[in-house]
Amino acid sequence: MSLIGSVSALTPSTLSRLPGMMQSDGLTPVGAPITPKTAGAPGTDAVQPGGFGQLFDNLVSAVDTKQTEATQLSRQVLLGQSDQLHQSVIAMQEASVAFSLMVQVRNKLVESYQELMRMPV
Amino acid sequence: MNLISGIDVSASALNAQKTRLDIVAQNIANAQTTRGPNGLPYQRQTVSFETELVNRSGSTADGGLPLQSVRVSSIQGDPTPGQRVYDPQHPDADSTGTVTMPNVNLAYEMVDLITATRAYEANLSVVKSAKAMAMKALEIGR
Repeated sequence: MSLIGSVSALTPSTLSRLPGMMQSDGLTPVGAPITPKTAGAPGTDAVQPGGFGQLFDNLVSAVDTKQTEATQLSRQVLLGQSDQLHQSVIAMQEASVAFSLMVQVRNKLVESYQELMRMPV
Repeated sequence: MNLISGIDVSASALNAQKTRLDIVAQNIANAQTTRGPNGLPYQRQTVSFETELVNRSGSTADGGLPLQSVRVSSIQGDPTPGQRVYDPQHPDADSTGTVTMPNVNLAYEMVDLITATRAYEANLSVVKSAKAMAMKALEIGR
């Protein structure tokens, strides 16, 4: 998925974009259960067997991986094992953006739940 | 998950420019070094860059271009002869009393330094803008 690279990423809602995002990168987060990959081309938005819960779980794992990566890089810089200062800062920013995306998804989720709760029965 | 695409390219450019800055520092530091480990005067080093394809998995799926990043291809010595100075009291003077100075030109090095700094800043701006765009996109949901 590329929020910046393609204009099409702007049009669908965040929630419906998620399946394509998780597949197109072919990224398996550390510690996450490995889901069988669908044979179709990435970006077809095929529904994963685990449903949205599984999807959100994957997203959280991916964000966590990014945070761990950023922590690792900045630790190396602070300990003097690496001089890649910009890499560590960029990794931190990337983790921050990914975290914001996760928060947005969660907000949407809570919002829709509250919308349902407000429905008169 | 790569939310800020193209940032790897900028990161590679930052790395390359930093290497260039290191080499400039080395050249300036050794501008007066008349004897290196090989017994010869210091030779000015120059950095050359080359493109490198970024490994973006699924890059064609999201319509992204196969981006080309940059890396340092080689660090080579400048073969131009150094200036010869008459200084019989210098310990590295030859039988005729002349010393071969390094072929480092401080003006060239300062220009290289400024170019590297500006290029680094330009790439930093790209990183900043890319992040700002991603954050703006996330603000759609608000």
